[in-house]
Formats: sequence, structure tokens, C-alpha cells
Amino acid sequence: MSSAAWTAWEGADPVRPPAGPLLSVRDLQVRFVTRDRTVHAVNGVSFDLDAGQTLGLVGESGSGKSVTSLALLGLLPRRTAQIPAGEVRFADEDLLHAPESRLRQVRGNDVAMVFQDPMTSLNPVLTVGRQLTETLRTHLAMDKQQARDAAADLLDRVGIPDPRRRLREYPHQFSGGMRQRVMIAMAIACRPRVLIADEPTTALDVTIQAQILELLRGLVETERMGLLLITHDLGVVAGVCERTAVMYAGRIVETGPTADLFARPRHPYTLGLLRSVPRLDAGSDLPLAPIPGSPRDLTDAPSACAFAPRCAYATDESRERLPVLTPVDGDRDHLVACWNPVSDAQRVSSA
Amino acid sequence: MSIAQAEATELAIERPVSLSRTALVRLRRNPAAIAGAVIVGLFLLMAVAAPLIAPYGPNESVGGLASTPPGPSAQFWFGLDEQGRDLFSRIVFGARLSLLVGFVAVLVGLSLGLLLGALAGWTGGRTDALVMRSMDLVLAIPPFLLAVGIVTLLGPGVLQVMVAIGLVTVPQFARLLRGSVLAQKESDYVLAGRAIGVPSWRLLLSHVLPNAIGPVIVLATLTMATAIIEVAALSFIGLGPADPSLPEWGRMLAENASRLQNAVHLVLFPGFAVVLLVLGINLVGDGLREALDPKLGR
Repeated sequence: MSSAAWTAWEGADPVRPPAGPLLSVRDLQVRFVTRDRTVHAVNGVSFDLDAGQTLGLVGESGSGKSVTSLALLGLLPRRTAQIPAGEVRFADEDLLHAPESRLRQVRGNDVAMVFQDPMTSLNPVLTVGRQLTETLRTHLAMDKQQARDAAADLLDRVGIPDPRRRLREYPHQFSGGMRQRVMIAMAIACRPRVLIADEPTTALDVTIQAQILELLRGLVETERMGLLLITHDLGVVAGVCERTAVMYAGRIVETGPTADLFARPRHPYTLGLLRSVPRLDAGSDLPLAPIPGSPRDLTDAPSACAFAPRCAYATDESRERLPVLTPVDGDRDHLVACWNPVSDAQRVSSA
Repeated sequence: MSIAQAEATELAIERPVSLSRTALVRLRRNPAAIAGAVIVGLFLLMAVAAPLIAPYGPNESVGGLASTPPGPSAQFWFGLDEQGRDLFSRIVFGARLSLLVGFVAVLVGLSLGLLLGALAGWTGGRTDALVMRSMDLVLAIPPFLLAVGIVTLLGPGVLQVMVAIGLVTVPQFARLLRGSVLAQKESDYVLAGRAIGVPSWRLLLSHVLPNAIGPVIVLATLTMATAIIEVAALSFIGLGPADPSLPEWGRMLAENASRLQNAVHLVLFPGFAVVLLVLGINLVGDGLREALDPKLGR
């Protein structure tokens, strides 16, 4: 697996011990401003990601997961997206205010991304090899032959057999799972320290999903990468992530170690999400419990709990004041933003 | 990994195929496109090997002056003109001029149009607005009138005519490419490219343009046909290439329009040459459009 070209890199990039967390996001806000309205897509998101750690960002469509991830790398459309407040630090460097030229170096080199749909994320008219070597030649200044060897090596690492031949092929000759492997190969080509995977398995069928997740998990371990896994699939989070953050209406409503969060969800929304997923270990007669209502319209800035209109536990306070993340029962690792968190007793009785 | 291997063996049968090759294969399956290609090929051959094909020189008087030029005969296939020149030979030599004008005019229009269209589509914002509004301005003028205006400005001559006709087509190319670039700009692979730090100019040149160029190639072929007609039209109204001895098809039509009653062959054959060449180019262009259409399955 590790050929000459691959080991050559290892010397090229010594691992610097970062002072704080590798990636740190504080109170990130994103607005989309158009002529007739303003959408408050992300309203104060904070999280940390360390090397070798996997953080799951979970939420339904429109909860701001993808916008958050694009904002980290300055990939939002400049014309409409505004970031009025917040801080994104990678290895103690401010990314939000970095110039485009610096961001271009960071992208791919330090922080890379894998997107949801591998069918459209590859350029259909260029061979896979051409696209893969491009990254290597841009960032690592390799010559053609070196880049070719390294590219074949990468395909091998992500589990694509016969890599040298497949480099000459076009994306349409790859299956969905294989294309996602190619995308991952491209993303890890420069050995980034943080990988952002935005719904990396959503467009794939279930058996392939498992393989891709396994691959990502393996990369986190061997490369000591930080992985930010964005998904709406709780099953994926449970299988891969150490920590989980649940997003609703552009805010993180609950965050904690995955096992703890799944076993003792405090936020009614988290509880609702877990209840609406079928479980194999529960009796088959147990009906699924959907969350009533639909997600909040994000036109107004949040001034109260966004989930209150759909929430069975909502109080007057929920409808009037914005809850902030606070430790659950003094546990500083498990935080919830709710005025009336679900207690253990309530959870048992409602199930 | 066993699934991955199975997939690979299954796919191993298929050889790597590029888009241009697929397009070529599809083009060959289209009888109309083949007919068009044969016609264009014949004209190209005529142009290249004109001295070998034409029995006489384009300005060689073989029959002497005649008020009623003789029509087609076994010796002079398309008949003679009023100066006794062999019409067939003149038409064969005329192919050189028409093809050259068509080619250069398209080259002028295409290169400028690509530049402006790519610039407008890729940068967007003010640049886009400025470029495209000026293109709209040019489009508002009837193209033939504009060509006449430019020729008047530049003066007569083969090169001037080619440039004039080319300039008129710039807005079409610019507009088409801009739309195409705009569509590609929003695609996932461009975002994916940005996410791994590919420089902007490189994204445009090596990723977006190859994907956006298809419709422009088609327009280029069709524009070539229009350009050939326009040269003929400019010559017809007396604004064609200055040298009166040049065997330009449009000029032949113009000079002999008054002889329709007693020497119909002098108008018929040059006219037929224009129609046939334009038809051939259009057939190829249509075939290309279908062959390059990604919506039609591979």
C-alpha cells in the first residue's frame, strides 16, 4: 500500500502540535440576503474538532448543516451570503477573514471536502486520472510522472482495484460507490488534517454506504484526520461519530458524546428524531413517532426556541426567549439548548 | 472489498471512451451527416486541388467575347460567360475563396466570442453586465447591415470582408458560451474543485470550457454556412472582395443577374454551388448537434 511516493510525503509534512483544537468554530452566523428577503440560515453555531476525532453534524434539510460546512472554507456565494458574526479558526488561524489566495491554499491542503453526489461532483469530460493529478500538481508541485504514481497510490488506498488502468477512465465508467471513493481520494490527496464530508453516503445504496463509512473511519485512524461528518442519517452518526451535534433551524440544539446523546437525549427535537427512526431491537408493534409540523421559516432572526411550535414540552419561556447551550445535570460534555429539557422519567413514560 | 473487485472486473470489458470519440461514432451513424460530410469534403477537395480539377484557368478566355454566351456542352460543362471564361473552372476556383472566407470569418467570430462569453459568464457581476449589454447593442443592429457598415469602414478587400462577417457573429458566440458557462459554473464538480483549492482560471480553462464548448462548436459550423452566404450577398451588392477578376460566387450571381433571360446557366450554377455547400455544412452541423447532445444516451 505505501509506495515510495506516499512515504515521501510523510517526511514533507511534519505534524505540528496545535495549541487549541484543530478546528474551532465560534458563534458562526450566516445570512442569505436577496432583494426581497433575508434568510437566517445559521444562527450562532459553535463546535470544536480535534485531530483523530469524528464529529457528526445532524439535522433535517434546511437546518444549516451544509451552509455551515461551506462557510468554513469560504465557499458560499459571495453575492448573497453574509457572515455577520462568528469565528472559524483552523490551527489557530482565522479562516473567516483570510484572503481568497490563502483560502485556496488551505482548501485541499489542510481542510478538504467530500460532497454528497459523486455522480455530479466529478467533471464528466476529463479522465479520473487527470482530475486526481490536478490536485497533486497544484498543491504539491509534483511533475507529471510523480503525480501519476501518487494518484494510482491514492486510488489503491481508497480500495479501487487496478488503479493504473482506472486512472485512464472517465467518471461515467465508475459506479456510484467507486466515484465516491475517487472523490475521497481527491480530498485526501494532500493529506489534509480536517476532512469535511457533506452527506457522503446519501446518494449511495446501503451496502456501499457501509463500505464508504468504513473507509472514512479507517482514514481518521491512520491519518489522524479530524472528520466533520454532515448527515441527516442517525444510523450513520451512531456507527461512526464519537461526538454528535444536532442542528435545528441554524442552531445546535444539543451536543454530546454520541453514546450519551443517543441513550439520554435531552432536547425534545433529538428525542423526536430518534423516535422517528425504526429500531430493530424494539417490538415491531411499536409505531414510529413522527415530529408534527414542518421546519421553521428562517426569514426572521431567531428570538425564541425555534422548535417550540412543534414541541410537546414547550413552555411560555420557550416561546419568548432564545435558549442557549447549557450543561445537562452539570455534565460539561453534554449540552442542550432547551428551557424544558426532557428528563429521564419523561422519556421512559412517553415511550 | 470483494464487491469493489466484482465491479471492476465487470467494467473491465469497457474501454475508456472520450466524449469526442463517442460523438464521432454517433456522427457516423447519421446518414444525413454523412451526406453533408461528403458534400463538404468534395468542395474541400475542389478548393485544394482546383488547378488539377479545373480544365481551364479561372480568368482564361477560351471562347472569346460573346453577347449570348453558349450554355453547357460536352467541352464546357457549365457553359461559358460573356468574356468566354469556362464557368466550371471559375466555380471550382471559387470554392477556395468561399471556404476560406467561411473559415476565417468563423475564426474571428469564435475567438472573440469565446473570450467575451467566457469572461462574462465566469466573472459575472458588473463585467458580465457590461459585456452582455454591449453584445445586445450589437445584436440590435441587423447583421447584414452591420457587415455592410463595417466593410464600408474598413474598405473593400478579401480580408476586410472576412473580418466584417466575423465581427457580426461575435455576439452570438459570446451569448451562447456565457449561458453554457453559467450553467456549468453552478455544477457540483466546480464546487468540488474549489473545495480542493483548484485556481479559478484553471477551473475555467480545463474544467468548465470543455463542458461548455459543445453547443459553440455546433454554432460555429452553422455560422460558417451563413458566412458563405453573406460573402455572396456582400459581393452581390458590390461590397465583396475588390479584385474584379476573383471568381467569387456571389459576384458571378450579381454580374449575371441581368442575363437571366438569355444565359440562365450563368446564374444557375454559381447559385447552385452556394446552395449545395451551405446545405452540406448545415447537415454536418445538425449531425454534430445531435452527436454532442449529452441528453441523447451514449
